[in-house]
Amino acid sequence: MYWVSVVTEAGIFAILALGLDVVWGWAGDFDLMFYGYLALGSYMTMVLTIGKPIPPVQYIIGWRLPYPLALLLAVLVVVALAAVIGAIALRNLREIYFAVTTLSAVTALYLLVENYTPLFDGYNGVYGLINPGQTALNLTYNGYRIVFLAVVLVLLALIYLLVERLSASPFGRMLRSVREDEHAAAAYGRSVFWAKYRAYLFGAALAGLAGGLFAVFISAFNPSAWTPQELLVIYAAILVGGRGNPRGVIAGVFVVYIGFIELTRFLPSPASRPEFGPAMRQILIGLLIILMLKFRPEGLFRERLNVDGRRGRRLGGAGVPASAGEPTGAAAVSGQADAKEPDARERSPQ
Amino acid sequence: MSAAVLEIENLSKSFGGVHAVRDCSFAVAQGQVLGLIGPNGAGKSTVVDLVSGFGRPDSGSVLLAGQELVGKRPDVISRLGLIRTFQTPREWRGLTVMDNVLLGRRQFGRESLWRCLTRARRLRRAEEPDRAQARAILDRFGLTDLTNSRAGTLSGGQKRLLEFARIAAAQPRLIILDEPMGGVNPVLGAQIRDAVRQFAAAGQAVIVVEHNLPFIEKTCDEVVVMDLGEVIAQGSFAGLRGNARVVDAYLGMDLSHD
Repeated sequence: MYWVSVVTEAGIFAILALGLDVVWGWAGDFDLMFYGYLALGSYMTMVLTIGKPIPPVQYIIGWRLPYPLALLLAVLVVVALAAVIGAIALRNLREIYFAVTTLSAVTALYLLVENYTPLFDGYNGVYGLINPGQTALNLTYNGYRIVFLAVVLVLLALIYLLVERLSASPFGRMLRSVREDEHAAAAYGRSVFWAKYRAYLFGAALAGLAGGLFAVFISAFNPSAWTPQELLVIYAAILVGGRGNPRGVIAGVFVVYIGFIELTRFLPSPASRPEFGPAMRQILIGLLIILMLKFRPEGLFRERLNVDGRRGRRLGGAGVPASAGEPTGAAAVSGQADAKEPDARERSPQ
Repeated sequence: MSAAVLEIENLSKSFGGVHAVRDCSFAVAQGQVLGLIGPNGAGKSTVVDLVSGFGRPDSGSVLLAGQELVGKRPDVISRLGLIRTFQTPREWRGLTVMDNVLLGRRQFGRESLWRCLTRARRLRRAEEPDRAQARAILDRFGLTDLTNSRAGTLSGGQKRLLEFARIAAAQPRLIILDEPMGGVNPVLGAQIRDAVRQFAAAGQAVIVVEHNLPFIEKTCDEVVVMDLGEVIAQGSFAGLRGNARVVDAYLGMDLSHD
């Protein structure tokens, strides 16, 4: 059952990462708010399904909606919040300014949730979403966990197909042109804000969905579940897998979550220092990011080009240029990518 | 001469106390190639920015086919039929050469997020005629072999040609070229001149900002000379040779062939 749980978690985070990749990988916006959308999706799913709070516990709404309906509403609430944040942050702010603004937004949300207890019961958080539909489906506890894993994987597959389709579509092309050079994109009639905004809402919707699934996975949600560091692991996963390539992003999540985190589980964990394991894990993830940037900045799977004639073949050439606004080391990425470009073929035109 | 495509009236812009553009007026007609010349700092690039929406004038008006452009965003202005270039080629480097040209085709309706999610296959079929046209354009500019290369891997000259291929795909009413000859060898220069003349022959209006005077002489029907933010002369290139103010602005530079 341990592996069922690990793969379920990785599947949920893969959905989250696919959404973040649309925002960061395709549109080029280094969003630090993103994990907040997962958190909000999770909280909303909870308070829409678990019924009235019993004092002293307190939280908003307290309905008992069927889980799928609650999930849908949670996604809508998340998209509504993203619509506000995006409208402010994406209009004129780019790169580091956008990152700082979104970091402020998520910090504000975090402090609000933690300190304003009538919202989601502050630091205690909300709990009690235990296996929705288990009795209706007449499943054992373990059987339910396996079915839930299957549901997560089916959703992941559907979303993967959808994102892959979007990636090769005119929308994906237009969005990447905005990432590559927004002045040129505007000079060719694209509204830079509108392009980035739509990508942002789409990404946030996937984060909200991942949050709703996460609520079932851990059946309780409180501020300790969404510390800001969590997001950096997702960024690391995208970087490892291949920014801009949906298949790579999924591979990256599975590599980082299962490969990496599970391997570091076997690190020594002295009883007197319980924080040693998690801290070591963070350090190793940082090291992994640096090593990837140094030796394979394009990730395991390079962003795919739309090949005229045949579809989906990967070609050599420059890696995805790193736009600024990435974490430290962005300069190294673009430097590396340039160094790997084949010498420009000089063809004097006839 | 046919109707004016672009009419600039009394355009002014200051940065702090510097009058970058002062009371600037000129017009371009359909099928006409207009050269915009002047020493560095004359305000040429500022005029281009003000016309294309990348800067906001303090006063004055800019009409594109009768529509006021002042106050509109660059993307809106572009959709009204104006394509401008920048001093360096600004290709979308991580995308293929084909994608660059297809983006020039500007089928905005197909870029809807919803349609791309729900009608992917239909959109792909609808794009076929645009692809065929893009291939023909790439062929015309000798870029066919590079169709599927990342635009960022092209040489400087190839990037210039890609820029023209992109414009050819867009078919705007008005094209503004900001220093198209920067870093260009003579052979490529002839090709660029042909491309500009072809745009004009197809009825498009072209404004060329350029320091290369032989190129201006061979390519342009009319020339506007700017200095210190003002239009100091306008007319045929030959007619400007004897103009004292123009010669003065160029510090006595010989405007005949070097």
